[in-house]
Amino acid sequence: MRELTYLEAVREAMSQEMRQNEDVFILGEDIGVYGGAFGVTRGMIEEFGPERIRNTPISEAAISGTAVGAALTGMRPILELQFSDFITIAMDNMVNQAAKIRYMYGGKGKVPMVLRTPAGSGTGAAAQHSQSLEAWMAHVPGLKVVQPSTAYDAKGLLKAAIDDDNPVIFYEHKLCYKTKSDVPEEQYSIPLGKADVKREGSDVTIVATAIMVHKSLEAAAELEKEGIQVEVIDPRTLVPLDTETIIQSVKKTSRLIVVHEAVKRGGFGGEIASTIAESEAFDYLDAPIKRLGGKAVPIPYNPELEKAAIPTVDDIVAAVKETLNRQ
Amino acid sequence: MAKEIFMPKLSSTMEVGTLLQWFKNEGDAVEVGEPLFEIMTDKINIEVESYEEGILLKKYFEEDDEVPINHVVGYIGEAGEQVPDTPPGESGAVKEQEDASDSRQPQTEDLAQQGITETTSQEVENEPAQTAETAEKLRATPAARRVAREESVTLAEVPGSGPNGRIHQGDVTAFASSNAAPTATPLAKKVAEAEGVDLNAVTGTGSRGKIYRADVEGAKQPVSANASTPATTGEKRVKMEGIRKVVAQRMLQSKTTAPHVTLTTEVDMTETIELRKKLLGSIEQQTGFRVSYTEMIMKAVATSLKLHPNVNVSLEGNEIVYRDEINLGLAVAADNGLLVPVVKNADQKGLSALTAECKRLGKAARENKLKPDEMAGGTFTVSNLGMYAIDAFTPVINQPESAILGVGRINEKPVGVNGAIELRPMMVLSLSFDHRVIDGAPAAAFLTDLKEVLEEPFKLLI
Amino acid sequence: MAQLVNLPPRVQETDLKGLLKQMWLIRYFEEKVDEFFAKGMIHGTTHLAVGQEASAVGSIAVLEGRDKITSTHRGHGHCIAKGAEVNKMMAELFGRTTGYCKGKGGSMHIADVEKGNLGANGIVGGGFSIATGAALTSKMRNEGYVVLCFFGDGASNEGSFHEAVNLASIWKLPVVFVCENNQYGMSGPVKEMMNVEDIAQRAEAYGIPGKVVDGNDVFDVMNGVGEAVERARNGEGPSIVEAKTYRWKGHSKSDAKKYRTREEEQEWRAKDPIARLRDVLVQEGLLTEEEADNIKAEAKKEIEESVEFAKDSPMPTIDDLMEDIYA
Repeated sequence: MRELTYLEAVREAMSQEMRQNEDVFILGEDIGVYGGAFGVTRGMIEEFGPERIRNTPISEAAISGTAVGAALTGMRPILELQFSDFITIAMDNMVNQAAKIRYMYGGKGKVPMVLRTPAGSGTGAAAQHSQSLEAWMAHVPGLKVVQPSTAYDAKGLLKAAIDDDNPVIFYEHKLCYKTKSDVPEEQYSIPLGKADVKREGSDVTIVATAIMVHKSLEAAAELEKEGIQVEVIDPRTLVPLDTETIIQSVKKTSRLIVVHEAVKRGGFGGEIASTIAESEAFDYLDAPIKRLGGKAVPIPYNPELEKAAIPTVDDIVAAVKETLNRQ
Repeated sequence: MAKEIFMPKLSSTMEVGTLLQWFKNEGDAVEVGEPLFEIMTDKINIEVESYEEGILLKKYFEEDDEVPINHVVGYIGEAGEQVPDTPPGESGAVKEQEDASDSRQPQTEDLAQQGITETTSQEVENEPAQTAETAEKLRATPAARRVAREESVTLAEVPGSGPNGRIHQGDVTAFASSNAAPTATPLAKKVAEAEGVDLNAVTGTGSRGKIYRADVEGAKQPVSANASTPATTGEKRVKMEGIRKVVAQRMLQSKTTAPHVTLTTEVDMTETIELRKKLLGSIEQQTGFRVSYTEMIMKAVATSLKLHPNVNVSLEGNEIVYRDEINLGLAVAADNGLLVPVVKNADQKGLSALTAECKRLGKAARENKLKPDEMAGGTFTVSNLGMYAIDAFTPVINQPESAILGVGRINEKPVGVNGAIELRPMMVLSLSFDHRVIDGAPAAAFLTDLKEVLEEPFKLLI
Repeated sequence: MAQLVNLPPRVQETDLKGLLKQMWLIRYFEEKVDEFFAKGMIHGTTHLAVGQEASAVGSIAVLEGRDKITSTHRGHGHCIAKGAEVNKMMAELFGRTTGYCKGKGGSMHIADVEKGNLGANGIVGGGFSIATGAALTSKMRNEGYVVLCFFGDGASNEGSFHEAVNLASIWKLPVVFVCENNQYGMSGPVKEMMNVEDIAQRAEAYGIPGKVVDGNDVFDVMNGVGEAVERARNGEGPSIVEAKTYRWKGHSKSDAKKYRTREEEQEWRAKDPIARLRDVLVQEGLLTEEEADNIKAEAKKEIEESVEFAKDSPMPTIDDLMEDIYA
């Protein structure tokens, strides 16, 4: 199998779908000849033309609503937001319109759209271009939230997101764009709501998302040298959440650490921790659940400060040891 | 209110205790009866257990700090309670008793205290209900609780290995699988937990298989050795601690403060051997113990000391204390180090009583069961290496005593007797004394008298 | 039908009696709803457009069946004009399963997507970009329909107005933005909230036509909107039509209307759009007094029947709560 970068995988998923489904189109700022802020749509306008690779004005409110309107009338738009921070401007359309239309219309009407957007820190883009706000979206009934961590997952999950009849927020971590994995050439779909065990282990379960999946795997490799077997689970989609896989893992390991880049306070880690506390896995917990998340601070510009604002591999190693009473 | 943890007075002569190690950290939960810290007194080292339950709020002293008796070492109380930042000195409980005679003083103090309580009542108000509840509640993980349910284990009996004494699943399973579980020192348990060593797989070298830290480390080493390097036995390093540390410090102290002089003399043991033979049966009948040379010698030492009060002394500051009791220390080699139980008023005990007492103390020492006061109050020590091929040695004084007798083996030697050479069972006695308080002549006189008593043991009857 | 010398051709082709009937239906529907709110028979809130019947009916009168609308929080009139069944509307306000939204949407969310009513909207300015998106679908799929986006004077101060109108303009989308300027955004008088005389003037900023019509004259509305719809259908892009009108009632229930005078209200009541249409039709001999009264009576009866229908309809059960939600 050939290797693709995460970025290429996202592009391929869109291109393949657009070749066979006329209803699918992309709209977003600078996605045309420029190729998108991160180059995801590079080359696509040449293949699909400006009608389907729609360069928009800098109008997040309008393009998100336009996507809602187009979806409501039969299209399957993919909306690219240059930075996930800008979702604040698209928020009304995602939260008050897209998420609610099907339900508040009594099931008559659907909004099959995907909002793709790069998230996360690590690029020196500072406070307004580095956030991880997925918990906001996950909080709203009516929005599906996807956070792939690998190229393989990105392609399969994006196909599933486009096929979904409901609005999906598709978070792409900027630092994942260059990561590579084996990606099949043919189209395939990874069902939303199916977690992936990225590494099996018996001593402690780490549930990590996006770039933290990679950091957790690094930490797990380090801990293995000390005989500690870490299981790393990537939920891949926050909504719907594959609670079963996480519960079964925690029943096995008796210990849970949740790691995400988003600010810990009010972060999705709290949701996972609570889910376990409420589940049958509670009786198997042999240590308090730990959450690792970003510090409650805007992402700073200085590279050292930027790194310190979010969990590091060392933080994860230390958390595992603490959870195992091995300090 | 936070409760004081104070340096206990463990013997009548104890004035300071040296903190050897803490078993708890600030913030840890402490149950009544849990070991808090280990101290060394002038006699022994001992684990001090908590009289209170709650959270260890403050530790004022670290390892190797000397703390006067009754001085506050730390506080136990409810989380968040305020305690002084600096050591408050002598324990208030004791001070109160002492001040009780003064009728006006306590009143004003009470008022002042009330004032303090009122101002802080706001903060405290929330806490009591909460901590009163948690004090009764165990800290145990859900998994530990589940396994305890399944295995019908009473959680309260399970020692928790986690932070704040939290009971983990492993604690319960270990407890359940071992009612005949090996006993281990708290330190050994800690080390075992930290190193991931299963205590069940460790052979304890202590009495009744009690596991010490060294055992845990010994049990762990081969595993890693197997894994990496085949069959090379590297040097073993064991941290000086516990009794070893105490012995080391005290020997150094003695050797560097007391100018040692050692006198030796050779004793013909013919008569003592005879006497022992004659007494064996009746003493055994009386006590169930066989009288040994050690006891015979102890008896002789006690008798002789009575005649030489200037040897039965100790140095306290600038004063020579002539001890009014003859309490004989008996050096015993226990598994984990040298212990010196004390036979009180040895001069007033007959050989039967002395034998019974020595046997009992020796056993207790070897089983690590000596009580503090059984090691306290000695005035003179006897160290017998006669069971080895040792003819003579220079013993180190067991301070605050001023003299010690070293006993060698009984060995048949040619001796001149009335112009002829005879083989006699000879034994060398070595008396080390502190020349600061005892001069050569009185020491020599004592040793001479002792030699005579042993050569003519009927003198014991005098 | 007799030839009307005073009426423009577009109006001559229209079923004028039908328009009168619709306006009466709207009037009676709203008066009934007002009464029920006052009696506490229905809960929540509602926004009535009594006095604005001509702008709703006149705008929609020039649409084809395939055309679509987006509506506002004050949307009962748009619904009825777009052919909604008053039974289902009344049932919705009564929270019944037979309502347009199965009782889950209420007054502010009535939609009938299949018939081209893309929904009322609780968010002021929420419809701009949805209408734009629906128009995009029309254009991309060559469906030929036009989208009519109703909005109020207050909504034109929302950022979403600017973004959507600009986008619709640069993409030349078949959408007509119909402003029902009823003089007050809740309590805020138009004159205090913007510094232009006419909202239609704003069209100039986007390079599109803007036209002011008499919102209480159904014929003027038809002519103005009709022209804009024709333009849109011809691929010439969007327009703004501003219909000056007045809401007789308060913003919603419990509005003491302290922000305006009773005299002002009386002036506008004198311009009652229903009376004006009726008078014209009678004057032109298209309708007898008796016929006019019959139309009014019919409308009243239909609304009364709708109340019976609503009252007789089943309430949703708790089992219905989680129906139509997917994430």
